[in-house]
Amino acid sequence: MDISTRLAPGLCLKNPILSASGTFAYGEEFARMFDLSLLGGVVTKGLSLHPKEGNPTPRVCETSCGMLNAIGLENIGVDAFIAQKLPFLGTFDTEVVVNFFGTGEDEYAHMAQKLDIEGVSAIEMNVSCPNIKKGGIEFGKDPKILNRLVAQVRQSTTKPLIVKLSPMVTHIGEMALAAQEGGADALTCSNTFPAMAIDENTWKPILGNITGGLSGPAVKPIALRIVWEVSRQAAIPVIASGGITSWRDVVQFLLAGASAVEIGSFSLRDPLCFGVIIQGLIRYMHDNSLESITEIIGKLRTP
Amino acid sequence: MKDCNALVKDNRLVAQDTCLMTLACELSPFTPGQFLMLRLTGTCDPFLRRPLAVLSYREGIVEILYKVIGRGTSLLAGKKKGEELSVLGPLGKGFSDPRPEEEAVYVAGGTGLPPILALAERMGRGSLIIGARTKDDIPLWERMQNIGGVEVTATTEDGSLGIRGMATQALNDLLKTVHKPCVIYACGPTGMLKTAASLAQVFGARCEVSIEERMACGFGVCSACAVRTTAGNQKVCTHGPVFDASCIEWGI
Ligand SMILES: Cc1cc2nc3c(=O)[nH]c(=O)nc-3n(C[C@H](O)[C@H](O)[C@H](O)COP(=O)(O)O)c2cc1C
Ligand code: FES
Repeated sequence: MDISTRLAPGLCLKNPILSASGTFAYGEEFARMFDLSLLGGVVTKGLSLHPKEGNPTPRVCETSCGMLNAIGLENIGVDAFIAQKLPFLGTFDTEVVVNFFGTGEDEYAHMAQKLDIEGVSAIEMNVSCPNIKKGGIEFGKDPKILNRLVAQVRQSTTKPLIVKLSPMVTHIGEMALAAQEGGADALTCSNTFPAMAIDENTWKPILGNITGGLSGPAVKPIALRIVWEVSRQAAIPVIASGGITSWRDVVQFLLAGASAVEIGSFSLRDPLCFGVIIQGLIRYMHDNSLESITEIIGKLRTP
Repeated sequence: MKDCNALVKDNRLVAQDTCLMTLACELSPFTPGQFLMLRLTGTCDPFLRRPLAVLSYREGIVEILYKVIGRGTSLLAGKKKGEELSVLGPLGKGFSDPRPEEEAVYVAGGTGLPPILALAERMGRGSLIIGARTKDDIPLWERMQNIGGVEVTATTEDGSLGIRGMATQALNDLLKTVHKPCVIYACGPTGMLKTAASLAQVFGARCEVSIEERMACGFGVCSACAVRTTAGNQKVCTHGPVFDASCIEWGI
């Protein structure tokens, strides 16, 4: 049985299960619980050029079947990552996908250059953050801006380039094509959904940042629709992200057109879920006499 | 740390909105101040685990004392004998032992009692101050009074039990009478911790505080639980929850 999956020239995962950015830190804590070599790939916390402190607390909040987070992209910065974290990740037999973001086009490009080194399998661009120089509009909300940004990063790296789309757009397919034409090798669909929570006793927002991103099973049906829409329009592979908790979810996302999946929030509550999900997928394929996951990817039977 | 299934042995109300739960599960030895991440099995609603301090752990039986404040803890309160829960832990860094020459003073306010009581019971010496709004908010009063070697004082805002007033006032009064090196262990509302930290400075005492913060993972991967310290942001769940009070930047 072949459960490997191809995301870009030179980027083939041994299985379609990845961690997600921001819920796996830099891998050290999970490595104390299981062998990271089990994973198709590890996606790191989003890195910036300089270390970032993040938002005031509270930074998370429970919601029905999910959670809100407003961590504020706290991270140790790309240089500390390369010096202190990357060598450790290199000791595992898994692909290392480095998630990053910038405050402007040049900063994104500079980050991509810094990460064009041995030990990095691919880079994943988070474009759901504000363009500080252009009045704070998110890069991922305007197809022209996104296209230019991706094109500039493309020229700054030899690594497979994954663009993680923002779900908060009218036509997600348009964004997917903008990123593809800019030179993206693959697309992650998608980041969290802007949301909020209010305390009716104190009349105050629960999160220190007032609003945050919704993730977990609550968003899965929306993520599934986004993956389906994007994979029908884009020619490049899609990585699904949003509410995945089981092998059943994985099969559904593969049917919708995803070539791999990222598991985020669920691994915060069930850190050992990765192995269980991979085993479940293998068993499902065995029970259905499937030889390769390419027999599932995009094979949704529509009327 | 490991993820294991725990069987509810007992779960009952011991004070207003406060339950004591005993669970059967195999944990590694714990340090008072460490906590567990608990979740109901087989459901995604509630989605996240709840951090709860370990009150005691002996021969495969763990005790947890918790205040019923939200949906998660209400569901926990509804768990009956024989039902299962998933337990991750013990997690975080607990209190250090008092040095042989030190007098130990334990201070708990609000929901801060469990780690403090765990420590007082483990050490079996020193003084324990428990502060609450009223008598009904104080759980396990009899048990506290029977910890051998530990002097117990209660303070209540309405004077319904012990001294009328705040725990920090009682702490101040006590510190005046101690004439040897002293260590203060505190858990409770931020205001109380901050006052305990400044009293420690005034009296030249060592002070360790257990910080409460909202968590998502409890094992250091999500950065939900940041606290400002003199060494920059630290994670309450892994660097703490117990910190040396002099390292905390209290803000306003
Ligand atoms: C606590 C937390 C932190 C996150 N941090 C990042 C980040 O730094 N960069 C990023 O691109 N996505 C980040 N995300 C989004 C996740 O990677 C993922 O796309 C999203 O949570 C949806 O998947 P899920 O429902 O499986 O969690 C974060 C999510 C959470 C819950
Ligand atoms: S709760 Fe996730 S890092 Fe502390």
